[in-house]
Amino acid sequence: MASKPKTSKTKDPKPKLAFYWASSCGGCEITITELGMRLVDVSELVDIVFWPAAMDFKYDEVRAMKDEEIDICFFNGAIRNSENEEIAHLLRKKSKLMIAFGSCSHLGGIPGLANLFDAETLLERVFDTAQSLDESRGTRPQVKNKMPEGEIELPQMYDRVKSLAQTVEVDYFMPGCPPVVDQVWNVFQAILTGKLPEKGSVIGAEAKTNCDVCTREKGTSGMRITEFKRPHLTELDPDKCFLTQGVICLGPATRAGCGLPCVNGNMPCRGCYGPPDGVVDQGSKLVSAVAALVDTDDPQALRDILAGIVDPVGLSYRFGLAESILSDLKYGK
Amino acid sequence: MENNDKHISFVEQVQAIPGGEHVSVCYSCGTCVSKCMIQQKVEPDYNPRRLLRMVMMGMREEAFESPTTWMCSECDLCYSSCPQEIHISGVIGAVKQLAVEAGYKTPLEVVSVDENLCSGCGICVMTCPYEAPHLIEKEVDGELDRFSEVDAEKCMGCGMCVAACPIGAISRPGVSNAEVVSQIKIKKKRGKKSLIVFVCDWSLREDDDVVLLESYPDNVRIIHIPCTGRIDPQMALIALNSGIDGVLVVGCKPGECHYKRGTYVSDCKINLLNTMLGQMQLADGRVRFVQIGTQDRGRIRHEVDDMLALLEKEAV
Repeated sequence: MASKPKTSKTKDPKPKLAFYWASSCGGCEITITELGMRLVDVSELVDIVFWPAAMDFKYDEVRAMKDEEIDICFFNGAIRNSENEEIAHLLRKKSKLMIAFGSCSHLGGIPGLANLFDAETLLERVFDTAQSLDESRGTRPQVKNKMPEGEIELPQMYDRVKSLAQTVEVDYFMPGCPPVVDQVWNVFQAILTGKLPEKGSVIGAEAKTNCDVCTREKGTSGMRITEFKRPHLTELDPDKCFLTQGVICLGPATRAGCGLPCVNGNMPCRGCYGPPDGVVDQGSKLVSAVAALVDTDDPQALRDILAGIVDPVGLSYRFGLAESILSDLKYGK
Repeated sequence: MENNDKHISFVEQVQAIPGGEHVSVCYSCGTCVSKCMIQQKVEPDYNPRRLLRMVMMGMREEAFESPTTWMCSECDLCYSSCPQEIHISGVIGAVKQLAVEAGYKTPLEVVSVDENLCSGCGICVMTCPYEAPHLIEKEVDGELDRFSEVDAEKCMGCGMCVAACPIGAISRPGVSNAEVVSQIKIKKKRGKKSLIVFVCDWSLREDDDVVLLESYPDNVRIIHIPCTGRIDPQMALIALNSGIDGVLVVGCKPGECHYKRGTYVSDCKINLLNTMLGQMQLADGRVRFVQIGTQDRGRIRHEVDDMLALLEKEAV
């Protein structure tokens, strides 16, 4: 942002927008700045009242707002610690519309992969056993810390990473890691013209899956997989379906809308737009599909072929582990 | 005999189709019938020996209307036992091809594709052991769209594609996602371990074993499926997540699957599921796949008992 737009000191009919990042990488913020000059147009039409990544607002300013004073809150990032959770509840209370923006708030995203391990295991790894440490210092971040100036508090890290909808009620879901900029623009326009669909809908995406828009040559009868290949170790034909080349692509289980930047770059879809409507658990559906393509009648060969899928959870639940049944099983519903 | 081409007899027509060549060497011993699961389990009128005889006697319409023509799933259990080494399913396939050409329709429950959902990924096409689905392009609202279309006459109704479809666009009456999931329910009883048993309808050869399934108390829920290839790892996850202690999937031994690939497909799925449960530090043997051979009489009882004993021991 070149300059901070004026905040509403007088009664202003402009809709008030808030952007927040919880457990996220910042990519969602960048996708908003990618709007470029269009952002200038947006800032003429709206008031941005909260955006920690780009502008100097404090939590207390949000706390001082009236309930539902914010018209629309774009919330990116997963819920990993007590701060994320607290601000999610705060922004929910202060916002008329809560939009889960990006894969992490939509499904848990990449931070959700941490659900493979509980908090203690993660902290032990990071602070005690990581090779990059000279030696274990035996120190861990504590929630309460005594400092010369007094006691300070850090957020509590939770065992389970959650999506935004697992924490507060969400009105719309905008998928993507990050949401592609043209879809962000579409959604802004839909908001400003009041053309939003039914609450609870996924916005800024299509109804069908990526295969619907992918022009690669699809598999034919009997075309199956005898070896799983990893994309970085394989020379890939840019015109053929990845699955027909033994490379697992999440496109068949992933909602379209991104415009296929990965696939067009000759890399398989990683699934960041999440599943289409009606699919509860994207990862297990993908596994069901991929397993059906394995071609062997030898039980041992079958195991060898499957060993070629190095990290099935990381592959099939890359963006959806936080909301998955696997996480429910590990941490309770 | 009504034949468009009076010069060619029915048997010659069958022989002209690849697979149908050896029909005339059949001497009607009936060994194939004794091996066939369809005759034993679902259709007493199913009889390959009789169908081959009908072909040789030129009984065209009778052959086309016979359940044998439509129900053979090419499992080929009969092939290895035929003393004349006739590839019987090949002959039946040739008869079926002629029947389809003559306009006859399959009597089986087959799958259907919801075009509003189908994105044309082609996974069902690659999965099907019978080459029933294929991708087509047609115009929808002025735009060319790609869908899967199922050739009903080729579909055997195994449900492998229903499980493989990553977005639930394919269904088959009786084994649609919702119908199977609605059966995954066990009322919790204090002190009793609960177990879901998905049983392939073809894996149990003995009447006693089938009867046994009816006799389990409420903590063991039997869910019948046409083939373990119909299993979706999500079903096991849903079961465990609802508090059910274990999931046992019972299918056929490699090489004996009624639908050719189902047992391998299911093996892959349960294998991957257990790998994933292991990655989450949740692998404790609570999901198991067992393959029952044609000679394994009474084994289902031991497998269920074993599983219940394991669940008791682990006290999960």
